[in-house]
Amino acid sequence: MSDHTSKPKKKRKLSERSAAYLLIAPSLLLILVIAIWPVIQSFYFSLFDLRLNNPTKSEVHTSHMIDLQRYLDNYFLLEGAIDKEVDKAGEGNAETLNGVKEDLSNLDASLLEDEKIKERYELIDEKLMNFEKIDPKEKLVEVEQDRAEEIQATLNDIEGKVNSLNDLEDPNTVKGLSSALADSIIKPNFIGFDHYAKNLTDKRMWMSIWNTVVFTVVSVAIELVIGLMIALLINKAFFGRGLVRASILIPWAIPTVVAALMWKFLYDGQNGIVAKIFEEVGLVERMATLLTNDTGAMFSVIFADVWKTTPYMALLLLAGLQTIPTSMYEAAAIDGANKWKQFLTITLPLLKTSILVALLFRTLDAFRVFDLIFVLTGGGPANSTETISLLAYKVMIAQSNFGEGSALSVVVFICVAIISMVYISLLGRDLLDDKK
Amino acid sequence: MQKKAGPLFYVGLSVFIFLVMFPFLWILISSLKPVSELFGEKAFVPFTSDPTFVNYQSVFVNHPFLTYLKNSLIVSGVTTIYTVLIASFSAYAIARMKFKGKTVILGLVLSVSMFPQIATISPIYIILKNLGLTNSYIGLIIPYTTITLPLSIWILVTFFRKIPFDLEEAAKIDGASIMQTYWRVILPLAVPGIFTTAILVFIAAWNEFLFALVLNTQEAYKTVPVGIAMFQGQFTIPWGEISAATVVVTVPLVIMVLLFQRRIVSGLTSGAVKE
Repeated sequence: MSDHTSKPKKKRKLSERSAAYLLIAPSLLLILVIAIWPVIQSFYFSLFDLRLNNPTKSEVHTSHMIDLQRYLDNYFLLEGAIDKEVDKAGEGNAETLNGVKEDLSNLDASLLEDEKIKERYELIDEKLMNFEKIDPKEKLVEVEQDRAEEIQATLNDIEGKVNSLNDLEDPNTVKGLSSALADSIIKPNFIGFDHYAKNLTDKRMWMSIWNTVVFTVVSVAIELVIGLMIALLINKAFFGRGLVRASILIPWAIPTVVAALMWKFLYDGQNGIVAKIFEEVGLVERMATLLTNDTGAMFSVIFADVWKTTPYMALLLLAGLQTIPTSMYEAAAIDGANKWKQFLTITLPLLKTSILVALLFRTLDAFRVFDLIFVLTGGGPANSTETISLLAYKVMIAQSNFGEGSALSVVVFICVAIISMVYISLLGRDLLDDKK
Repeated sequence: MQKKAGPLFYVGLSVFIFLVMFPFLWILISSLKPVSELFGEKAFVPFTSDPTFVNYQSVFVNHPFLTYLKNSLIVSGVTTIYTVLIASFSAYAIARMKFKGKTVILGLVLSVSMFPQIATISPIYIILKNLGLTNSYIGLIIPYTTITLPLSIWILVTFFRKIPFDLEEAAKIDGASIMQTYWRVILPLAVPGIFTTAILVFIAAWNEFLFALVLNTQEAYKTVPVGIAMFQGQFTIPWGEISAATVVVTVPLVIMVLLFQRRIVSGLTSGAVKE
């Protein structure tokens, strides 16, 4: 392998660079595909009225289209149903029904005049006859806006006529089919910033942001103070230090959901020991009020979060403390500085970066809080603990309103971006510095 | 500040540890209580005269808890192996090679680790649904990369930087290619760091809730956190079973933490402190 060494230095450097890019490529590709692209896509979705439970809005549509599968399915069934009705209909109804039938066949004929539609029409028709699977993309054909509105008007007209009829043999079938047929035309569901406009004037959204901010600021502040106290306390040699470290790691290690369930049990209004203790101490009037009033619920959520994440904070700060050389304290002690003075002049300034990094990670985690509140209070009572992530989840998943839910999740993203930028500007380039 | 600890210190420490561990102890006691002692006055008694394993039995018999455990093990295990492998390549390049745009890439990794999961979930859900991958293992493992990959790269970079550069220089002079240097020289030395990263990634994947909740809704594919969260009925909450399930989930984690606490701490704090 001696020939490698004889290669000019320049070449070695070049190959190192391309090797580096090659090694990074898989990670970068994954990050692009499953993190960055979805965020961009979320923003794109948020500009549409996208509802998974509504057939005409279940996808992003930027142009007018006709759903040929829906059209053909309902067209022939409706035609057949009308034929049946005509046989049994009275004088007046028969006339209207024949009129509807004529409208339908005129519409069908006019659709077939269009070459593009005709081709696809025949394909779908054949597939429907043979009970073949139809590709969701295949069934949609783009049509001009004017034409789409014309077809829609005809379909609405047909639906209106059918609905005006009384004394039908089987009114539900005919009316149902004509209304299903009217859904064949798909309009673009682009709505621009309407979701944002709606939510930015919605009290519930501002309330959820407020709740998130209260939760984040209060819990992170308490965690910082207690975490720093613990870190200072265990930053010395003592018997059983490993055990102490392990035991404070356990709340961090268990799933948040499990921690939330544990606390839900401890807070329970009938048999929760912590609720009972709070009642005895006088913190709450009755056990049951802990989780059923606004302040009590928010307090409970914060208390559980402090329990779970203070250890993490303490460990980050402890690691920072251990980098401060003891000699500095010794020198300060000789100069006659007391413990408090030492803390203010040595510990705090040297711990600044560690504190900021710990605060950055914790603030972002707290701002994104979901699991804990989802399980512990579900956002209740009366949305008093509903955070912005929980609201986005409820709108998106529980209501299948992906457009609005995406808009809310973009709001979460923007908030998180702002918080990170503030911290990173405070930290400077320390965080990403290549040199050790 | 490295003062010798006095007796008062130990008293304070014990009180603190007791407060931290209290919820676990209480849940452990409750899981052994018969249902009748979980309500009324007896609910507040810190012992039981009639310990029973009926709650534990019920967790496995009345709920597909074994399935949840299996699902969580598969998803977290595969996620860990594949993320750490891919991350180790990138971390090696970032930590030890010279190329342009390193800071930008590291910044990108850090920003992605800050992404709120909720902001990626709607497109991921729709894509996976269209591909028929909701309610599958792979459909959960792929999105977990959003969380675990930046985390692994971030931690591994710190570990790789600690390995002396002389070794690599020596290998270069001996004519080893970049891949050979990586496999023969760096990787063996990086094993402790990689192991630490793997533990943290495993815990992160094991505890993940939002993706699992949205993507895998069928009983057969639910993971432990989602499964446990759904124990709560609409009107009643089976506290005995929940306590027992909590203990079952917590005990392995406690053992893991006791065994690997040193590694976990070094992994958690790497990158957060400049040494």
